[in-house]
Amino acid sequence: MADPKDKTRRKGLLGLWDRFWTPNGILSIGFILIAGFLTGIMFWGSFHWSLELTNTEEFCVSCHTMETNLGEYRETIHYNNHSGVRATCPDCHVPKEWNHKVKAKIMAAKDVYHELLGTISTEEKYEDRRLHMSASVWRKMKASDSRECRNCHAFEYMDFTAQENRAASEHQRALDNNMTCIDCHQGIAHALAPGYLEEYKRVVEELGGEPELSQSSIVDLHAIRRFLGEKSE
Amino acid sequence: MLDFFGTIAGNILSLPGILGLALGMMTRNWSLAASMGGFVGILNTLIFAHFSFAEIAVYDLLIAVAVGAAAGVVGCAIRHKGSLA
Repeated sequence: MADPKDKTRRKGLLGLWDRFWTPNGILSIGFILIAGFLTGIMFWGSFHWSLELTNTEEFCVSCHTMETNLGEYRETIHYNNHSGVRATCPDCHVPKEWNHKVKAKIMAAKDVYHELLGTISTEEKYEDRRLHMSASVWRKMKASDSRECRNCHAFEYMDFTAQENRAASEHQRALDNNMTCIDCHQGIAHALAPGYLEEYKRVVEELGGEPELSQSSIVDLHAIRRFLGEKSE
Repeated sequence: MLDFFGTIAGNILSLPGILGLALGMMTRNWSLAASMGGFVGILNTLIFAHFSFAEIAVYDLLIAVAVGAAAGVVGCAIRHKGSLA
């Protein structure tokens, strides 16, 4: 610590550093504590506000490379439906809990990096990377037991009698076999690449799980979309 | 690698980083500061796993404890540097 009796004062940044660690002889501890507390609130408030600004659909699709995703998402029931309740990009891709949210935000830095590199800047490049990008999202969702889906959906509160027969029986099967949302709903908001099922099985095996899917249990996503689309009109 | 850095950042901006630092500033004992920070790391992991031990990932727990302990040591260093007595 800087010795207060030391008359030789350093200049510039070193001087600031010395002053920073010098005991204050003018301000009371109470003043410093209250000022620190208020500054803390202001800092944390603005930090959180800035973070939430990045948690909007407008922010997510402001990059050129997000146009394809947006177009596909606009075709789904999560974008447009009879009730007007929507799930936007961050609802599905950004966790609500603080710890997981910050981690997701840090990891999203790679999206900016690839936007600058132009990794998926053309339709061809996008299609080449589609399976890889899908797999990384599936991995996160499978590992977290589809945490973001469950912010809105819960098996416990599903009225199977109000569902289409097949949906009800599939949801019952999912409950019985301890499956998670993404096990069946891989393409619920974006188009699927060829070979997606094999890739999903690989992801599940990589995570140390047993793939519940078999060829007979593949969910016909087009049928689901058609059904949901009809319901929402 | 991104997952690793993201987990570290998440912990720095969460209880292990903030409370660990605050607790570290309350003592001059380096090992106590690190222990308190590490304990906050364990607590943080438990809270985010909704107190279900089955949901705790060892990888996340280790990083939370390491970040907490490091924050505690930094807090202790601030205490050493910033007080006369």
